[in-house]
Amino acid sequence: MPRKQAKEKKFSEMSRRDVLKMGAAAAGAATILGPTVLTSRKSSVFAQSGVTEPVLCAATPVPPSPATTPFLDHLPIPFPAIPQFLNPAPTMNANIAGGEAARAPHQRWAQFTPAITYQMEAKAATHQFHSQLLPSYVWGFNGRYPAPTVLNAYGLPAIVRFKNSLPATTTSFGTPEITIHLHNGHTASESDGFAQDFFSTGLFKDNHYANAYAGIDDFGGIGDPREAMHTFWFHDHRAAETANSNYLGLNGMYLVYDEKDPGHEFNTPGSLRLPNYYGITDIPLILSEKRFCPAANGRNEMFQVIGAASPSTDKWIVNGKIQPKFEVRRRKYRFRILNTGPVKTFNLSLIKPDGSQGTITVVAVDANFLEHPFDLSNRTLDIFVAMRFDVIIDFAAFPVGTKLYLKENAAQNVGVPSPDPMPTGLAIENVLMRFDVVGNTIIPDTPPIPTDLIEMPDPLVPDASFEWRFTLESGQFRINGLPFDPNRVDHAVLKGSTEEWTLRNDVLAGNWLHPVHIHFEEGRIQSRTVRPDPVNQPGLTVPVTLLPEELGRRDVYPLPGQHTVVLRQRFRDFVGRYLIHCHNMNHEDNFMMMRWDIVESLAQLRDRKREIAHRREEAGLPSLYKKEEIG
Amino acid sequence: MNRRSLFTNFTDNKAPAEPQPRSNKVELFTNALLRTHENRPVRFYDDLIKGRQVLINLMYATCEGICPTVILNLVKVHQALKERMGRNLFMYSITLKPEVDDAAALKSYAEMHNALLPGWTFLTGDPYDIETIRFKLFRMDHIKFDTDVTAHTGMLRIINDATNRWTEVTPLASTHTVLQHISWADPPKTLQERIEANKALQKKIDQEVKIFGYRRTI
Repeated sequence: MPRKQAKEKKFSEMSRRDVLKMGAAAAGAATILGPTVLTSRKSSVFAQSGVTEPVLCAATPVPPSPATTPFLDHLPIPFPAIPQFLNPAPTMNANIAGGEAARAPHQRWAQFTPAITYQMEAKAATHQFHSQLLPSYVWGFNGRYPAPTVLNAYGLPAIVRFKNSLPATTTSFGTPEITIHLHNGHTASESDGFAQDFFSTGLFKDNHYANAYAGIDDFGGIGDPREAMHTFWFHDHRAAETANSNYLGLNGMYLVYDEKDPGHEFNTPGSLRLPNYYGITDIPLILSEKRFCPAANGRNEMFQVIGAASPSTDKWIVNGKIQPKFEVRRRKYRFRILNTGPVKTFNLSLIKPDGSQGTITVVAVDANFLEHPFDLSNRTLDIFVAMRFDVIIDFAAFPVGTKLYLKENAAQNVGVPSPDPMPTGLAIENVLMRFDVVGNTIIPDTPPIPTDLIEMPDPLVPDASFEWRFTLESGQFRINGLPFDPNRVDHAVLKGSTEEWTLRNDVLAGNWLHPVHIHFEEGRIQSRTVRPDPVNQPGLTVPVTLLPEELGRRDVYPLPGQHTVVLRQRFRDFVGRYLIHCHNMNHEDNFMMMRWDIVESLAQLRDRKREIAHRREEAGLPSLYKKEEIG
Repeated sequence: MNRRSLFTNFTDNKAPAEPQPRSNKVELFTNALLRTHENRPVRFYDDLIKGRQVLINLMYATCEGICPTVILNLVKVHQALKERMGRNLFMYSITLKPEVDDAAALKSYAEMHNALLPGWTFLTGDPYDIETIRFKLFRMDHIKFDTDVTAHTGMLRIINDATNRWTEVTPLASTHTVLQHISWADPPKTLQERIEANKALQKKIDQEVKIFGYRRTI
């Protein structure tokens, strides 16, 4: 019928015009604000359920990931998490009747009554990692990969309700049980995502984040502001399954602002005035590695990571996209770079159009501002799994139209030639992402980066010392001679004390590097030494000069073969079970992890240490404590 | 795909399907012809793994070091799970030295360690097949580690083929921990069962908090 046809035509015209209008509005916003906070329309599925479980490929020989044209997609910025009221309301004791997972009561609940609450629902979804790829099955918080970013402030205690809505049975390689760790929050044990505290589909768990600085007991109020940390991330920490669930997408960023780093660029008291508008001038870069199956069933599934069929990865992902481009204006930008692994180390450098290396200014490492920023222009930024680098790149020096590249040392599989001529010496396979300088800045540039960023907390005087030896024995990762056993305590510390810990990597075979992560408080590296000739002169050690990024406070300590790192750390404000582990998630899943407990009293400390010595004796291992320590 | 579905049909809108079996299972496990300690020929996937919850470890009869502890612990695990063993849970110990460990050698090894138990099978076979299985089930993507034949003796692979769960544990951990890891691959519990387990756990935690000031065990 002609009439119906006409109607249809009108409808389609209208919708097309609407689409154009929307596009124009979006483009307009982009011109005014620079890059807008957006997630790709196609990046996630809003359906609550009905995501078909994947059919995984176990093809041999494993084909490379499909080809993808570089710089087709814009860099997505994870949407800020929206605070929401929680029903049932959070409670100090686990709300078992309401469906909360079992846990100890929240510590310091009355002192840090939640002022802001969020929900992060882990569920199956699909995500398109490149516009030329079909969607892939992922697990995402609130159905998104990467998860929405939590933007918080010191002094505003928060509850993040992690809800497990993952499929109870799955054909993916994941295990639908989660325990979420806020890396590296000064968090009470029951909210710290201890590896064994996972909960299954249908339950939720309230993680209580005080958003206070360490040193609450010493300093009162919200603690010692010199202990400020800003760039956190949260991720699944389930024992033996961490690599799988992170590979599937269960991680996201969590930023905490304070006067120094207020989330805006105005001249307010105490502000460092660094680029600080989230998603506009302050950009998270969440890195990961993947490998994709050939297209089948309307999907390009990720290769499984379990068992033997796990091939090496060959696509590098930034905020959920392969080789995206990011449009910048001529001013300073801050990038909060996070490596979510699960295994790969990223070695990044900025490449200018003439092929030479550009300058990156590092202001913070592992969420902690350095005392003094440093410029990095003659070596790579080495980002081990779980590490964060806050860096500033000043694009003001480059004319409009300039294209700059973030280079990754290891090549990925691209499969098609670069759309543009590349700078001399740079292969398209080595490009992580591209920056396009598209115009002069509209938001005024921030002042020069201050030369003094922060005042460090007082030097630490240890009350005790302890050594952790990372080894490979009988084909198995171990620390202090034992594999991880969540039911066994491996070290005990007194609440409020300071300890000097030595991390030793004695693996002779393979010279494996372990990015060692210690939960709870930030540590300070005292020294680093190496054994240059472990075979012939096992006793010989040589000091290694600390890199500028090692001078600040840290929570990840890269430990190459034959290296020994001595650090000091405090254990204040909370008690409970915590972890030290290798953050190469495959190693951590293979039990390169130890449990240590913070206890309230000296009597408890002696009891725990006695128990630890006893358990070691049972395993035929010597005690690590002096006689007088265990009485 | 029509134009409209280009913008809406980001996933299949079909009702959630029953979880499908992992594609190409034989590829994943191999279907190698192995021989049991009773000298019975078996197919690795079809006869031993298909649809089952299994525990697989690597050993060899002359292995010293950690091996005696491993088998001792596995016997303890078997004792704790003897109700299930051979019914809905199976244990396989595969020799890493098939050239030396024939069926008879495995049988006497099992006898010596009191491991001739229901549901526990010791396996030997063609060295090439054994090597392939080792690589498929225990590979860790590290050249030194993966080329060391004697590696992996300290790992117990736990697989539930029916529900597609893979996990692992070191048999050197306490029996309590090993059992806990095995239970991670148990057939899925109903929501009601999970809620009941959660309640019971909370009771235990409350007790511990009262006594020790914090949650101490699981």
